[in-house]
Amino acid sequence: MKSVENKKIFINSNKYVYRVEHLTLEGTCSIDHGPKYVEIKNLFVDKYPVTNKQYLNFLKKTGYFPKDNQRFLEHKPNKSIYDLPVVFVSQKDAAEYAKWAGGRLPTDEEWQYIASGPKYLEWPWGNKFNPTLCNHDGQHLVCVNVYRKGASWCGCEDMAGNCWEWTADIHDDGNHQFALLRGGSYFYAHDHWHVGGGARKNNYHWKLQILNEGMNRAATLGFRCVYDAK
Amino acid sequence: MMQNKFTDKKKSIDFSLGNLNLSVDVYKNIFLKELNFIKNINNELFSIRVENKLIPKNKYKIEKVSKNTDDNFTFISIDFSQIFENDFFEGRISFVQKKKNIIDFIFQLSAKWHKDIPKKVLLKFPFLINLHKNKNFLKPGDIFDGKKRINKGVWNLHEYPPSIISDNLGNQCLGFEFYDQFPWQANYNLGMSEAISNENFEKLETEVQLNRELTDIILMKIYISSNGREKIFNLWKENTRQRYDLRKYHDNKNRWIKNNYLQHFMFAYGEEAFDYKKMEFKIIQIIKEGKEFGGYDSILFWHQYPRLGLDESNQWQLYKYLPKNYKTIKKIVDICHSENIKFFIPFKPWDIRSNESLDSHAKSLERFIKETSIDGFFLDTMSSLPDSFLKIKKKFPLFEFCSEGTPREQRQIETLTSSWDQIGDIRRNFKVEINSNFFRFLFPEHPLNLVSRWSVGSDKDSLIKRAAFNGMGMVIWQDIFGCWLPFSIEQKKNIKSLKSTLKKYHKYFYGDNSVPLIKTLSEKIICNEFSNSFSKEKIYSIYNFSSNKIKGRILKLPSAVKEFKQIYGKSANIKIEKKQNNFYLLANLDLDDVMLLYIKFDI
Repeated sequence: MKSVENKKIFINSNKYVYRVEHLTLEGTCSIDHGPKYVEIKNLFVDKYPVTNKQYLNFLKKTGYFPKDNQRFLEHKPNKSIYDLPVVFVSQKDAAEYAKWAGGRLPTDEEWQYIASGPKYLEWPWGNKFNPTLCNHDGQHLVCVNVYRKGASWCGCEDMAGNCWEWTADIHDDGNHQFALLRGGSYFYAHDHWHVGGGARKNNYHWKLQILNEGMNRAATLGFRCVYDAK
Repeated sequence: MMQNKFTDKKKSIDFSLGNLNLSVDVYKNIFLKELNFIKNINNELFSIRVENKLIPKNKYKIEKVSKNTDDNFTFISIDFSQIFENDFFEGRISFVQKKKNIIDFIFQLSAKWHKDIPKKVLLKFPFLINLHKNKNFLKPGDIFDGKKRINKGVWNLHEYPPSIISDNLGNQCLGFEFYDQFPWQANYNLGMSEAISNENFEKLETEVQLNRELTDIILMKIYISSNGREKIFNLWKENTRQRYDLRKYHDNKNRWIKNNYLQHFMFAYGEEAFDYKKMEFKIIQIIKEGKEFGGYDSILFWHQYPRLGLDESNQWQLYKYLPKNYKTIKKIVDICHSENIKFFIPFKPWDIRSNESLDSHAKSLERFIKETSIDGFFLDTMSSLPDSFLKIKKKFPLFEFCSEGTPREQRQIETLTSSWDQIGDIRRNFKVEINSNFFRFLFPEHPLNLVSRWSVGSDKDSLIKRAAFNGMGMVIWQDIFGCWLPFSIEQKKNIKSLKSTLKKYHKYFYGDNSVPLIKTLSEKIICNEFSNSFSKEKIYSIYNFSSNKIKGRILKLPSAVKEFKQIYGKSANIKIEKKQNNFYLLANLDLDDVMLLYIKFDI
């Protein structure tokens, strides 16, 4: 069976109003959530989250292996799950891949624009939630190209549900370091004290407080890359 | 048993039952005329509304008035009946004495319904309304500030301290308690505890479901004192505690948790706890900083929340993902133990998965104790101890449990032997009040650590004062899940001073004879007294809640003083004055200031 080919989609430069919601339960998410005018430069973006196959290829070509390897690729990717998004990667693991692939991780602002576009859609496919267009509240990860009708305005798929996606930065409020995750995942824990699960709206990010790499990797956390264009 | 029937048609009947004297008018209606020192009450004991129609006052028929006595107890009862429209009511009011200075007032009612179809019945107790209006009536935790009654006490358990009415001198007192441990049972003190502690007592109407048998509607305990309201508190405390099995507090004399004055909340995800460069926890630094507070007695490690739920990992698995997995915890625990600091990890009941049980979590805990030598389990969001965990104590007798919520019910209090006293609410403008926590005085053997996680600035000052006023330890929690709210240098100094005082005078602060809100000689000062039975020594915590400095007599002391010293707070220039064989405490107390005072009496 032929594997999914992760195409690059071009995004024209544009300016848009960034305004994001978050849910941190208790504590704060100390960044500016907008509204603010931001500029997105010309760039390419992966149509899908990076797959297991792509990541294994990266390992094969580079010999990359993190110094702190707790939970690194804990799901033991193999041929049978080539087209699932790669997970159990930290932000560093993701950034290393992106660098090798000639790109980088998207910023929080870029990710939102790729998902919602110039029409400020609430979900990648439109303004109304539709659980049949994403892997929401499911039992496990699915292949990245299963929900074709759930694509965003520019053709990116799997932007809501299936796996959370890393964004580029580590934010530092002087006392804490945290990263912002996007898109939600298939997993929906049962209690309101848990991290809010399921697919998440385009304008939603979740604050992941950074600790050691073992804690920074998870079964629901992957990434996609963007590539600067001239 | 002797029985006297009162068949004569006297206008009123005077009873004497132990130290309770009351006069009830039974001629036309059932009026309470006098109760000990309270004269001219002249109000109905009860009134009944049936389907919104009030039964007229003169419709009751007194069937029997009797007094029974034997060697163990005495009771007086008034049986009455009533026909209203087509329904027939019978009732009984009884006063029962089994213990000196404690009388049970029991009100029972039955109904034979026309065609056996019950109707809606609402009851009021007008005599209580009249007592409630009396200027010397104080609801639980109330004091009289010279103009009005204000609340300076809190309790958060299913025991309700008595409301107290006193004579003008404050010596003769009656306390009224509506015991109500399970507040949803039919026809039993419904709403009375809440009503008597709130302003809306007059509005209270209790709905009851009546049938042919007499059912208990009200069981009010009346406590009697001729030595002030402190005696009422002690009677209630003694009477309440004797229902409890408190062996778990007293069986093991090596309970280290008794000395857990300061617990540090170690939120893993922040500069306070984690070195992002070295990728390791800063336990040595935390312990060092803890010395500014007087030294932590325990540390609560916290890394599961708000991280749980990102994937399927459960609360135990998250320990495996720490640097060097469990070994990280073991290393931290060993360092803590070398500094005589105990170590807690939390349990998250809300994370129990469908394929898990409390027994399986108990097994995980047992394994964790063996691997890491932790000392305690903190029960997040809980106020009770599951039996599955209780079994751990048999294998690890020194292992302790501490809950986020103070236990409220009997079984919880009996088994869960320490907890936080947590106050505050970020959603409202929460002001930390300095008042007495009655739980602290009812169960002094149960250590409480005060915490108000979101409080900052002057509220943090008040929090420290509140801890001092109640003679209790604190939780030092500065990183609130990623929100950094540290204590100031001055606040740290105050906590250090408080801890040192609590430690030095431990046996009095945690003594069995402590009383909240004793009588003071200033309307703007409140005072708690800490002591042990048969001890000549006492600690007084004194708070000036006025907006001015208060100078002069603060307390009337029980006897001559052999030794005294201020042991916490800004210097209040304490003096003892003797006048006509009476002894007074004089102080110069700043506004919004708490001081602690040690006195050794010359008895």
